[in-house]
Amino acid sequence: MIPAAFSLLIALPPLMWAAAVFDRVGTGRGATFIGPLRNGAALMLRPNTPTEAPDALNRLLAPGWYLALALVGLSVVPLTEGVVATDLSTGLVLWGACEALTVVVVFLHGWSPNSPLPLIGAYRYVAIGLPAMLLSMFVLIAAALPAQSLSVVEVVEAQRSLWNVIRQPLGLPLFMGLGLAITLRGPFDYADGAELAGGTSAEESGPALALWRIARLAMLVAFSAMSATAFLGGYLGPGLSGPVWLLLKTVAVMAATVAAGRWFARMPPARMLSFIWVVLLPLSFANLALVGIEVLP
Amino acid sequence: MTDALFLVLSALAIWSGWRVFRVDSMVRASFQLMVSFIAVGLIAVLLAAPYIGIATIFMMAVEMMVMALFMVMFMMNPAGLNPMVMVHQHRFSVAAGITAFAGLVLAVLLSDLRAQPLPVDAQVVRALGHELLGPSMLIFETAGVTLLAAMIGAVVLSAHSGRYGGSDQGSRPPGLHPGGEPAGRKPDKHGGHQHHGHHGGH
Repeated sequence: MIPAAFSLLIALPPLMWAAAVFDRVGTGRGATFIGPLRNGAALMLRPNTPTEAPDALNRLLAPGWYLALALVGLSVVPLTEGVVATDLSTGLVLWGACEALTVVVVFLHGWSPNSPLPLIGAYRYVAIGLPAMLLSMFVLIAAALPAQSLSVVEVVEAQRSLWNVIRQPLGLPLFMGLGLAITLRGPFDYADGAELAGGTSAEESGPALALWRIARLAMLVAFSAMSATAFLGGYLGPGLSGPVWLLLKTVAVMAATVAAGRWFARMPPARMLSFIWVVLLPLSFANLALVGIEVLP
Repeated sequence: MTDALFLVLSALAIWSGWRVFRVDSMVRASFQLMVSFIAVGLIAVLLAAPYIGIATIFMMAVEMMVMALFMVMFMMNPAGLNPMVMVHQHRFSVAAGITAFAGLVLAVLLSDLRAQPLPVDAQVVRALGHELLGPSMLIFETAGVTLLAAMIGAVVLSAHSGRYGGSDQGSRPPGLHPGGEPAGRKPDKHGGHQHHGHHGGH
């Protein structure tokens, strides 16, 4: 348990840096590799701006909670056979709790500065984030069905014969919607959008903003590792050792998520809400029903 | 270790439960209640009920988020950051609180609680699933559907009076001058054709 937690903590910063590099590729901003580090260092030196009558405690803690949720979510991912930081019989539910609390934390981040643009971002995000989270829970239940267990270790072991991405092809794309929502990017970024001057981060600068961005990257890493585990067979694979496979798959999902965030257009919140409830959620029900029929003895 | 964790979590649950009534904002009260429930959920995990404990955290995060949102919407307290009094009906609340506390304490003291530790290989999640979808299915399904109906009913009843008149009349803002055309976007009732024709006439 402790070696696994250490390995995760060592692997996380380079992966977060890789995520920041993916975010920069093709944006024409230059300094692809050193840019994220330079920007982070510059943010550390800037002061944070005060707002009028904020909820100081939550404003201070929200970025830290976000990072903590990413770490807890990441901890249920098994690194190789029998090596997992949080070996829980209900690991998928713990991941779900992290998703749900992420919505709360992003809301608090926008609510606590007591300022209009962050507040609009916070409310919009809750409306979109909650159904996106429901969606992911149905998809994850479908991933747990062949394993007949809510333990993430069992979910990986059940994919020895066939990965879930082939057995239930709808799962990974739908889960990616949740990934875009909890990492606040692309078509699901209603919290920190540019049209709200940064949304929930509009009033932030300095170390608080740096930590918020770090937490977003950490959540992207956690989400990528989780989807690689639930749908792409996690540490399973021929030839290479388990952790190497997990790393490769995580980086691949990360790149795909960043690309999806750039590729898909963003809709007005009301239309997105209808789209989630009318199209995506029924698709996740269909996915669940198909898997149910398949595993029925 | 477990005992110390239990004491810390119980203290957190009670303290944040008390804070719910002392803070001055709907959003703060909701999330204090959430913290209280998270502590209770973690106690359930300590009591070898991992599914119930973590599912409580999961559900309470969603529920308190929705509750904060709806309370702010219905209380017309912009953003929930304006100070407001969170307690009312003092005498009735005190009596109800004392009665509920006494009843729960009696229930705990009088019921025969098992003290032996669970066997290591006990499949508690599986057993819970068999219970929920077996003998207790009717109770849980009835309670679930009743709660859902109550929630939808409460929202429909309380949201009937919309911002600009009855919500079933179509929400149209008042005109910019008395008796004038409604301001804002017009509802697309007759399709786009008449609209286009009107503009073409100019």
